[in-house]
Amino acid sequence: MHKKQSRDIFLFILGGVVLYFLSGMVDELRVYQGATIAVYVIAISSIILLTGYSGQVSLGHGALMAVGAYAAAVARVEFSLPIVLCFVVAVLAAAIGGALLGAAAARLSGPYLAGTTLALAIGLPSLANQFSVLGGEQGLLFDVGFPPLSLGEDFTQYKWFFWIAGLAALLSMWAIKNILGSRYGRTWRAIRGNEVAAQLSGINIARSKILAFTISAGIAGLAGALLSMTIGTVSPSAFPLALSFSLLTGAVLSGLTTLGGAMIGSVVLVAIPEIADVVAHRLGSSERVTTNLPGFLVSALLILTVLFVPNGPVEQHRARKAKHLAQKK
Amino acid sequence: MDLLNTFLIGVTAGTIYGLMAISMVLVWRSTRVVNFAQAGMALLSTYFGYEAVTRLGSFWIALPVAMIGGALVAALVEMILIRLLVKHSTSGPIAGVAPIIATLGLLGVIRSVSAMIWGGQDVRIVGPVSNDGFTINGTTLVFSPLKLLILVTVLVLMLILSIVFQKTNIGLALRASAHAPEIARLSGVKVDWVRTLGWALSGAAGAVAGMFQTVNGNGTLSPDSIEFSLLLVSGFIAAVIGGLDSMIGAVIGGLVLGLMISFVLMYVSSGLFFIAPFVILLTVLFIRPQGLFGAKAARRA
Repeated sequence: MHKKQSRDIFLFILGGVVLYFLSGMVDELRVYQGATIAVYVIAISSIILLTGYSGQVSLGHGALMAVGAYAAAVARVEFSLPIVLCFVVAVLAAAIGGALLGAAAARLSGPYLAGTTLALAIGLPSLANQFSVLGGEQGLLFDVGFPPLSLGEDFTQYKWFFWIAGLAALLSMWAIKNILGSRYGRTWRAIRGNEVAAQLSGINIARSKILAFTISAGIAGLAGALLSMTIGTVSPSAFPLALSFSLLTGAVLSGLTTLGGAMIGSVVLVAIPEIADVVAHRLGSSERVTTNLPGFLVSALLILTVLFVPNGPVEQHRARKAKHLAQKK
Repeated sequence: MDLLNTFLIGVTAGTIYGLMAISMVLVWRSTRVVNFAQAGMALLSTYFGYEAVTRLGSFWIALPVAMIGGALVAALVEMILIRLLVKHSTSGPIAGVAPIIATLGLLGVIRSVSAMIWGGQDVRIVGPVSNDGFTINGTTLVFSPLKLLILVTVLVLMLILSIVFQKTNIGLALRASAHAPEIARLSGVKVDWVRTLGWALSGAAGAVAGMFQTVNGNGTLSPDSIEFSLLLVSGFIAAVIGGLDSMIGAVIGGLVLGLMISFVLMYVSSGLFFIAPFVILLTVLFIRPQGLFGAKAARRA
């Protein structure tokens, strides 16, 4: 066990170093996309924790991201907290929101839960227009400041975003991995497997479910704050229903139970608009088609994944290998 | 006068939500799937209706065209997507969420395809009668001939649907396959086809809801319009308030939702447009997690 853990730490550090060198080699746009990928990795892993492990569906994670983003922006604008504390505030605020939602969610199951969180995803961002401190439709500025001068003259703003988001992604993956490997992770899997059996073995179902929602929401809040960092502002329109849907899509593409797969989903989500752009230009299609092609591709991919690779590419590969081995014996 | 206006607006909106909720209940009863693409299918059928209105010039021809189109789309979805889904995604952690995710994906596909075909232009459906309010004793109500027409049509459709369900053999087959598919199959009911029929009925009901939602609003149609986001959420919420399993529940859920939203907008704040449904839903579910008319689920061991 100990050996495995030190190997994991080594892998995480190695990942960080690779990202560091990569960010120096590619152009600005790619760096920006890298930052977006890192944000998606965090958001998707929060869904994986919630849906894949505790078995609860949320279509409202976009709203929880909005909570985190607004909390961070208010902390920055009104109280001018240092940037690290802003992110902490984002996590805490979203976690509180998640705990409240989780308390409601623990009573609901399946489609009821999905619908409730769907209503939240549509309703909550528009609530920001009700409070002047949140800046209405224009939203709030969220400025993390220039990169420190010690990093050199040619260290760009986007690279700074990428660093912050990348570091946050590595740290939160690390944290989630440990949580999932702990007693709580096993508890959630027991509940997902069979609620009654879990209850009979002494697990407090409601409390475990609320805990899963709280942690997942906190992580989503962090992702929300990071997302608004890359955009520079926080406004209701940055957290549309489509965001919640694409997070779920990303999680399904990654495989709902493979945390390491979060990378696959995030890369796909960022890459699809680009691919769609190329395809549309190649075909010389009209603007109507061009703007809607990414949405079409993402949704079509989602359906195909659910139908043919329901448990994700990594899990599928593993199952095939296991079958192969069993046949050999 | 305000009170009456608010009430009548709420009732009209509520019947449309109720119709949408009925279409979700029909799908839920026939396949145990909550169809998040229902509003998308309604959108597509409304576009069929739009094409019919522009070509043939009559709303009353367009309405059945939209219904038939909606029924065909829904039947195809059931035969292709849902049957595959039932076959493939039945094990592993995905099992519980697969229908939700697949129908969400379908919603995305329908939205983007409709936007590719009809998006970016001014698509408008003019109602069959005027939407200017009735005038009584010199004061003009918000309630209009159009709203009255919607109210009557929806009520008639609901009546027909409940007669079909209660009094005909098809209705009996629909209820039997929802309640106990195995036993229904043993008694000679072609359960697969009955399911497809359930979807088709639901598609037709959704088409009517889509058409009326459009003319009851400002008449314009767009894949990204607020009307359709509202139809998506309200139809679902109304169905859940009613308990997902009950048609009467769906109608009452729709009315409760329509009236509550209308009163909140009038007397509290118009900025609460999108958050009000959420609060109403949470309140109902906190009191009765299985909805107003739903049967309490037995514990599965």
